[in-house]
Amino acid sequence: MSNFVIQLSKVTKKFYLQEDKTFKEFLPNFLLGKSWAKELTALDNLSFVIEKGETIGIIGKNGSGKSTLLKLMAGVTAPSSGEIKVSERVAPLIEVGAGFHHELTGYENIFLNAAILGMHKKEIEEVVDNIIDFSELREFIHVPVKRYSSGMYMRLGFAVAIHVNAQILLVDEVLAVGDSAFQKKCLDYLRGIKKDKDKTIVFVSHSEESVKSFCDRVILLDHGKIIKDGEPEIVFKTYHQILKI
Amino acid sequence: MLRQFLIPLLYYKYLSSQLILRDIKGRYKQSILGYAWIVFNPLVQLLVYSFVFSVIFKFETNEVPYSIFLFVGLLPWIYFQTSLTASALVLVDNSNLLKKVSFPREVLPYSIVFSKSVDLFFSLFLLAIFLMFFKLPIPLSVFYIIPLFILQVILMLGLSLFLSAANLFYRDIQYVTNLMLLMWMYLTPVVYPISLVPENYLWLYKLNPMVGIIEGYRSAVFNTSFDSSSILLSVLISISVFLIGFFIFKKGERVFADIV
Repeated sequence: MSNFVIQLSKVTKKFYLQEDKTFKEFLPNFLLGKSWAKELTALDNLSFVIEKGETIGIIGKNGSGKSTLLKLMAGVTAPSSGEIKVSERVAPLIEVGAGFHHELTGYENIFLNAAILGMHKKEIEEVVDNIIDFSELREFIHVPVKRYSSGMYMRLGFAVAIHVNAQILLVDEVLAVGDSAFQKKCLDYLRGIKKDKDKTIVFVSHSEESVKSFCDRVILLDHGKIIKDGEPEIVFKTYHQILKI
Repeated sequence: MLRQFLIPLLYYKYLSSQLILRDIKGRYKQSILGYAWIVFNPLVQLLVYSFVFSVIFKFETNEVPYSIFLFVGLLPWIYFQTSLTASALVLVDNSNLLKKVSFPREVLPYSIVFSKSVDLFFSLFLLAIFLMFFKLPIPLSVFYIIPLFILQVILMLGLSLFLSAANLFYRDIQYVTNLMLLMWMYLTPVVYPISLVPENYLWLYKLNPMVGIIEGYRSAVFNTSFDSSSILLSVLISISVFLIGFFIFKKGERVFADIV
């Protein structure tokens, strides 16, 4: 019995880059039967499995397909071919705070954002105090979030996202959140989760230091393909070689 | 298909209610009149149209004062118009959500249609006050408003599914929507009585599903006989519009995140 939480088999994702946006340009091309868009392969035939409790880092240059991979895992986009199976609830910590309404208060936004992330009223009521404490925003919680500084905004978003009762956490560069004290708090929190071996964390970052200190396994992507998959030390060696070329 | 249709209503009830609340609460924040805009907006429109069509054009509306006649048609029309204008934009406005989080996308246009229905509800109170002011009776037939409202919601859900998805592909749709609504209003008996429509065009005119609905509201409030053929036509067209809208939306949904 395999214990996977995410399984990709031969996943390919292509994007169509539209160039002819106006009707004047579009119509002649359409009538002549020319293709209306350029194709771009973001992910090329990926197959791998992530097991329950793993902490896995995904690295690669800009445009190597990391974000597309996270989007597939989050279920917001479907592969062009192949199959992806995700067996548990996913909490995307990708650009936290998406879905905040800036006119509403922090408190109202906690409920809104948690609902967007798939939680029910009772679940949210149970953790709302923890969220407020974690964000360190108790005195500002009834202020509209448009009055928040960007750091406060991110802190609240992060606090909501980590309290979502999900088995899979997708973390995309969010550790650039707030001041270094809050960053440390977030990393410590993620380490705590990691220790329990109960949840799976997929971690996308450019920071070699945090990936090495945090992940047991690293996948290196380049031009949408898996170049290396294994121990952080070994994978980073290959990564440095790619960067030099 | 039925299952697909029910999922958002069963498992995403709380999300839908939060999105509806967001729309209602957020709409009038940092405004002096606040929620008073809900009734202020139809009142001003009522004044303008009343002046133009009862003072200048002098429309005949039987025993009912023109402004009451107008108000009964104008309220559902304003609901129709504000919902569709807003739902054309709803997916584009929430593009950051589409790219980050997975949930059934149709809750976004649905939430618009339901949050605007709160406005309609409050304006209906205003209508009741008007009826009392003009010493008009409020008949029992007024309860027929409920099935007519449901019919209107079905039609609007279908249209907003289609418009919100289409606008994500081509932003022209939001401008087309505004123009379409302007024309649509004059092809619906909102400001004028249906009796002014020439007899030989009437069959074509009634293909507009809003004709049956608006006339239905009037029959309910003024306790006159219902034009059952145009309401039945409206039921058929509304259900078809909903099914088509839902189908198109679900087809497009897979690529929403890629094209925003």
